Amino acid sequence: MKRLQEIANGVARGGAIVGGALLLLAAVTICIDIFLRYAFSLTVGGADDLSGYALAIAAAWGFSVALLSRSHIRIDTLYIRLPRRARATLDLASLAALALFFALVTWHAWGVLSLSYASGSRSMSALEMPLVIPQTVWVIGLAFFVAVALLLLARALPAYARGDLDTLFQAIGSKSAVAEAKEEIIAVERAIDSRKE
Amino acid sequence: MTAATSLIVLLVVLGSSIAVAAGMGLVGLILNQAYSPMPLTRMLGELTWSTTSNFILTAIPFYIMFGEILLRSGIAERMYNALVQWLSWLPGGLMHSNIGSCALFGSVSGSSVATAATIGVVAIGEIEKHKYNERLFLGTLAAGGTLGILIPPSINMIIYGVMTDTSVPKLYLAGFVPGFILTLLFSLTVLIACVWRPRWGGERIKTSWEERWRTLPDLLPPLALLMIVVGAIFFGLATATESAAVGILGALAITAWRRRLSLAMLREVCEGTARTTAMVVAILVGAFFLNVVIQTIGLTQQLSRLINAYQLTPSQVLTAVIILYLVLGTFMEELSMMISTIPITTPLILQAGYDPVWFGILLVLLIQTAMVTPPFGINIFVIHGIRGRGTLADVERGAAPFVVALLIMIGLICAFPDIAMWLPRLVG
Repeated sequence: MKRLQEIANGVARGGAIVGGALLLLAAVTICIDIFLRYAFSLTVGGADDLSGYALAIAAAWGFSVALLSRSHIRIDTLYIRLPRRARATLDLASLAALALFFALVTWHAWGVLSLSYASGSRSMSALEMPLVIPQTVWVIGLAFFVAVALLLLARALPAYARGDLDTLFQAIGSKSAVAEAKEEIIAVERAIDSRKE
Repeated sequence: MTAATSLIVLLVVLGSSIAVAAGMGLVGLILNQAYSPMPLTRMLGELTWSTTSNFILTAIPFYIMFGEILLRSGIAERMYNALVQWLSWLPGGLMHSNIGSCALFGSVSGSSVATAATIGVVAIGEIEKHKYNERLFLGTLAAGGTLGILIPPSINMIIYGVMTDTSVPKLYLAGFVPGFILTLLFSLTVLIACVWRPRWGGERIKTSWEERWRTLPDLLPPLALLMIVVGAIFFGLATATESAAVGILGALAITAWRRRLSLAMLREVCEGTARTTAMVVAILVGAFFLNVVIQTIGLTQQLSRLINAYQLTPSQVLTAVIILYLVLGTFMEELSMMISTIPITTPLILQAGYDPVWFGILLVLLIQTAMVTPPFGINIFVIHGIRGRGTLADVERGAAPFVVALLIMIGLICAFPDIAMWLPRLVG
């Protein structure tokens, strides 16, 4: 089970990096587009569509990374004042809610994809890219997120039954705002340290 | 009574620490089940695709990426040290450099937490070195950091713009003057405190005109980026998304120039961008769905009928909304507070006859206030975390004078809406 989570972690991070790289690519394309527009009065078009697809894909794949690093935003003002058992119950409820809502989203996203396939939809711009291409990557990202959420549930439920709450908190607990702030700081410090070397 | 019930259900679900994205989505599902004549869930797929592939929203990951690159570019420390030379002669010394650096870095980065963290890490070592009043010094960092979302470009303004169909460039224009005034108000707060209690201001730092001119080039890259990114929008040369894309390339160029560009760095930037983007987009997906449900079941009309029934004047509605945000802001995470309430408050405010651009700026100011008020103020947590000792209460007390400054600014913008509105009107 733990091994499975490690694999999921690797896949999620890979997907997120590719998603981020797509965004970077979209930014470069937009800059080229602007340059051509002002330097040669040329409009190529399609850069807007590309960046939209990059956002949808990066977000869908980023969902899993955010879930595995427990970064999805939760309001824990009350949570942190509750006893451990109650917190663990809320952690499970939160995860189940995420799995349920995004399973619905994914189900209907699949519907969008099949419709694009059936009608052969293409993007509006000069690019005329078949919508099936970005939407397939997007739906897989969403489905992967639901799978990761179910995997985490499968890990957390037995731990909850056993009363092994530490394992549960480690996997799905709400990261307190203080911990969140610490991570932000570590990122900044690491950035500064790497410069000093 | 649907309106009241829905609002209570939403607050209970979110308050019980259910992930905000799922919480809003589920409340949408419940309301849909209970009140809607047709199943709106069928729209979930199309809604998610069309919102997440929305071109205006792409500005959000672009600004996040822009900030991630800047963080690793070495701009912040050099800029801080340069501002120390230029501003530390004022009573309060370095604390003015804190506010100035936050304003400058915040203006290019678009995020308040990143601003507070970046400037905080650079500045915090100076407290003991120069014997500053620690609380006030921490307060300048927590409050200064909030300037990041008011001075354009700002991620929060993009979200507001997309959710309420308000022009993002207009919001940017409107944020500029209030951002400038608020920066001055923060500095004035330090000035008053240090004239009243000169000991708080720490030791004078040695500066010279020679040093000042020598460090000037360190201020130029962030200034140039700001000019390009904001200027392009001001003069209508580029959309918010396009200017953010140009900003990314500019930031990469500076990073390369400082010899910090590497594959490992780019990988970190990409992963960080995707994760932060996902956090924001997940909430937006839930919120957009909830928004559609709320509109379909006529919740906002119901609320406005309620207001008519009680014959509330526009200023009473506005006061109620401001109080609502001040209360919610004390215990709710800022981004979720903004996204979950916009579908309800904005229609009310617009119906009362207020301008959507103006309200956007007011909302940002209220969110800034929420960021530095206990028990949940994200910037307070950030600065406390950097300090690594003492109590949270130190930062909270230090930030208190700046909360007063923020409230004064909120009062100013309500009394003189033109502070926000004259620039967008001027450009047209």
